[in-house]
Amino acid sequence: MPGTAGGTQTGPDPARAHTVGLVYPPAEPDGTYTEQQHDFIGGVAEAAARYDYDMLLSPSVTANEPSFRRMVSPGRVDGLIVMEIRLHDDRVEHLAKAGIPYVIIGRNSTADVTGWVDLDFVGMTANCVQHLADLGHRRIAFVNRSERLFASGYGPARLSLEGYTKAMAALGLTEHAYLCGDDDASGEAVLEKILLDDPATTSLVTMNEAALRGVYLGLKRHGRVVPRDFSVVAVTAGRWVEQISLRLSAIETPVAEMSRVAVDLLRERLISPGAPPRHVLLKPLVAQRDSTGPCRQLPGDEPDLEELEF
Amino acid sequence: MTSDEVVMEPAPGDLGCPRGAATAVISPEGIVTGWSEEAGRLLGHQAREVVGRAAVELVAATGASDAAGFTPAGSSEWSGTATLRHRDGHRVDVMLRAYPSLAGDGTLQGYVLTAVPYAPESQDEHPMMDQAFTQASIAMSVFDTASGRWRLNTAAAGAAPAAGGEGADEPFLRHLHQVAEQGKPARFETHTPARSVSREQARIVELWPVRDPVSGQVCGVGTATFDSSQHHRARQRLALLNEAGTRIGTALKVVRTAQELADAAVPRLADFASVDLLDSVLQGEEPVPGPVGADVKLRRVAHRSSTSGTPEAAVPLGELDTYPAFTPPARCLATGRPVLTGKDDPDFLRWMALHEARSARVREYGFHSIMAAPLRARGITLGVAIFAKTQDSEPFEQDDLILAGEFADRAAVGVDNARRYIRERSATLTMQRSLLPRRLPAQAAVQAAFRYLPAGSRAGAGGDWFDVVPLSGTRVALVVGDVVGHGIRASATMGRLRTAVRTLADVDLPPDELLTHLDDLVRHLDSDDGTGDRGAVSGTDAEELGATCLYAIYDPVTRICTIASAGHPPPVALLPDGTVEVVQLSPGPLLGIGGLPFEATEVELPEGSLLAFYTDGLIEGRDHDVGAGLDRLCRTLADQSAPSLEVSCDAMLRALLPPTPGDDVALLLARTRALHADQVATWSVPASPSIVADARAQVGRQLAAWKLEEATPVTELVVSELVTNAIRYGAVPIGLRLIRDRTLICEVSDASSTAPHLRRARVYDEGGRGLDMVAQLTQSWGSRQTPTGKTIWAEQALPVG
Repeated sequence: MPGTAGGTQTGPDPARAHTVGLVYPPAEPDGTYTEQQHDFIGGVAEAAARYDYDMLLSPSVTANEPSFRRMVSPGRVDGLIVMEIRLHDDRVEHLAKAGIPYVIIGRNSTADVTGWVDLDFVGMTANCVQHLADLGHRRIAFVNRSERLFASGYGPARLSLEGYTKAMAALGLTEHAYLCGDDDASGEAVLEKILLDDPATTSLVTMNEAALRGVYLGLKRHGRVVPRDFSVVAVTAGRWVEQISLRLSAIETPVAEMSRVAVDLLRERLISPGAPPRHVLLKPLVAQRDSTGPCRQLPGDEPDLEELEF
Repeated sequence: MTSDEVVMEPAPGDLGCPRGAATAVISPEGIVTGWSEEAGRLLGHQAREVVGRAAVELVAATGASDAAGFTPAGSSEWSGTATLRHRDGHRVDVMLRAYPSLAGDGTLQGYVLTAVPYAPESQDEHPMMDQAFTQASIAMSVFDTASGRWRLNTAAAGAAPAAGGEGADEPFLRHLHQVAEQGKPARFETHTPARSVSREQARIVELWPVRDPVSGQVCGVGTATFDSSQHHRARQRLALLNEAGTRIGTALKVVRTAQELADAAVPRLADFASVDLLDSVLQGEEPVPGPVGADVKLRRVAHRSSTSGTPEAAVPLGELDTYPAFTPPARCLATGRPVLTGKDDPDFLRWMALHEARSARVREYGFHSIMAAPLRARGITLGVAIFAKTQDSEPFEQDDLILAGEFADRAAVGVDNARRYIRERSATLTMQRSLLPRRLPAQAAVQAAFRYLPAGSRAGAGGDWFDVVPLSGTRVALVVGDVVGHGIRASATMGRLRTAVRTLADVDLPPDELLTHLDDLVRHLDSDDGTGDRGAVSGTDAEELGATCLYAIYDPVTRICTIASAGHPPPVALLPDGTVEVVQLSPGPLLGIGGLPFEATEVELPEGSLLAFYTDGLIEGRDHDVGAGLDRLCRTLADQSAPSLEVSCDAMLRALLPPTPGDDVALLLARTRALHADQVATWSVPASPSIVADARAQVGRQLAAWKLEEATPVTELVVSELVTNAIRYGAVPIGLRLIRDRTLICEVSDASSTAPHLRRARVYDEGGRGLDMVAQLTQSWGSRQTPTGKTIWAEQALPVG
């Protein structure tokens, strides 16, 4: 598998500074890194160290920031790993133009010019839908990220929706996709809307971890017990979702693997700059925990549904 | 006190007139006027022949007779000796008394005469009687109360203990004085106690008063002493035998019975006794019936000596010795009869010559008389008992030989009973032990400890059993059961059930289903036994089998314990918060009844719960009140906070059981473990062929996180095969699970239970090759049915380091 070729590799060593740069803007509103971001930073640092690289971290969002400019100044780093990439990202444009070796964790439409590692949001979301369908669910809603993020062209949100839509279509099921803000109130509101649109809904796939607590509150208010009456599966889940009492069925982001692959890809760029760039799309499976279970029709809904089905 | 001081007084009622005296009346003129019958008998004259004649005609010649001085002229009483003439002419010596008979005016009317025969002391006249006394074979003596002097005959003079005289012992003298005082004959018996019966002396002493023939006063005491030693010894031997009957064979133990024989024989019968048994008897083998041939090998089991420490023994306890055919022990075994031998017997001497140590002991301790008695029971020879006399003890007599034979017979019955009991008990226990787990199999689901206690009574081992069976997916089956009854048959049935449970557990049946199968099996056992070798089984054996069983599966991933019971008492759980509860189960019918369903109960247990599985012997206790016993068990379990289950097992048995439980008891304690979230990973696998690569990648990712990269290649192969098969032949939902515990377990489950119930790869046509590979790559693999389908699993050893 990719990235397992760790350890001290022999061969031509193109490094001059023996340093990789990681450009990674903090995600928290107060300018701090999330826990998952810390995992990525640690993962990259560890993977780099295996090749005897040091790591330099820059929180830059744009190419104009002094931190970014310092990092790309000659001799500072041998190459860069860029994260939190936007639809139009001047950091990668700058790097491409300047001919500085770089790879991306994530991707946008222009990413293919260099190496990247990303999650297969289409496949992962489809797997979530499939997981629920395998358990007998037929009424499966989808909770996406916020309208603002979606509108900004945020890749994962669009790709997830695509996966959901494709999977539902393949199963011949009616899709119910919703956008939702990253807070409890939005979560509660979106659940209200789902059950209003189709009270017989028995499950949902969510891209939005931040709204999950609100969704649970809403389910509780409606007397729906998870997983007996309602199943919830998350496309991506960081560690914090464990705070919810029930262990969430979700796809775990393989942080360590993505970090390692990113360093591997960068090293490949450094060793053979002329080679065609490699792209790694990871599709982790849904980890089955306690928030999904076999579909069980709600009392009162059953006769209705039976008649509808036949 | 001495006889000199005795003052003789007439005994009460003694009027000085001896009974049976001849009486006559004479007139003052000396003419006989009255004649009694007794007088007629004394002198042979009828009254009509004498009355009217002069009394003096009846008097024989004069001589020393006092009668010469008697004149019937006075009016005072007179007494003295006289020699009268019998009608046939011979002389009759008498003691004569004359009592004056007065008329109303005081004039003498006549005399009343009484005469009693009297033997004059003159030695000259009775030399024969005197010699007869002197030479009597009985020890005799006469004590003169007035002078305190003794006269002893020859036998008495030489008697020991003294049969009279100054040296007589206290009882003798006491009785003597009593007779002198009371004037009545007496008889007493004494014996001199001795260590050995054959040395004991006993005598019977007859004592009678000797009266003055004239005054009737007791003037002396005569004694005759008889030796009653033989009679006494016979009685003593009988008493000894009786005592042996109660002392020998008090317990069903071979060695103890042998020791009891030796203890009973020494010192009363012999100075030294030993018991040797055939080795086969001690090894619990069935000895060959009948006498034993030449060159007997015997093992010393017990011995005893009147000297402490038994220094005489030539063979130490537990040692084996060989006895050639001519030796007394071998001879008695060959003939089946006790043998009396000793230093005069050439065979004995030849035996001693053979055996250095033995002859040295024989010389040192002076063995001179030996008895060898065979230990035989039910026609089977078990061994031999040797009895010996040492030093200055009397040699054995024929009576001792009979006694020795009786002793040996009693011990033989005891030894044989013990041997047979031990044989059966040890066979049952051996079987029980071989059928019960000696140590528990390695598994990680629970920490477990167990105890099995056979019944303390003579009933022997029973049919209680238990088991711990590791199941796939780190689960474990905990089993406890009870077959009614005791002995080999109960153990055998227990063994069959345990084997059956193991087999059914291996198929990984859920508890209720497993009990249904077991129920079928017991019914088959019943019908087999009922129709098969009925001729060979006794009434109790033919009884219907009663069996209970409790089967529980604990899954450390879900912490759920699924339990089903076939008439078995429910387990008791001590939860980590200290509460104790009896797990509420549907009790279910006994095994073998059939037709009734078994019901499984699911209990979720917090990590570290302590489960107690047991058989009814644990709760029946002293009072046979099961309810109270269960309460006691709950209370006892509540106290078990010790980390060591071994300690808890012991503590619980101590608290709940009497010292010798009447029923056998099995106790199985299990403290539950839980597999933590980071040891188990479960994924949902959508049923599309492209997912196989994702599944491989996912497994590789997980193994990297667990730092088990070494296991990745094999695991990826296994996952590919299992997931491919599930997608191709199974039904959704398909699940993939990795468990990292003592081993690395990879499981793929799907919803199809109608799919082939495969145990071996060839069931699959196309996928078979792959499963063969799985089988070769992994430590073990298999499949199990689940409530929602089936699971195929493969287990690998964890990479080392």
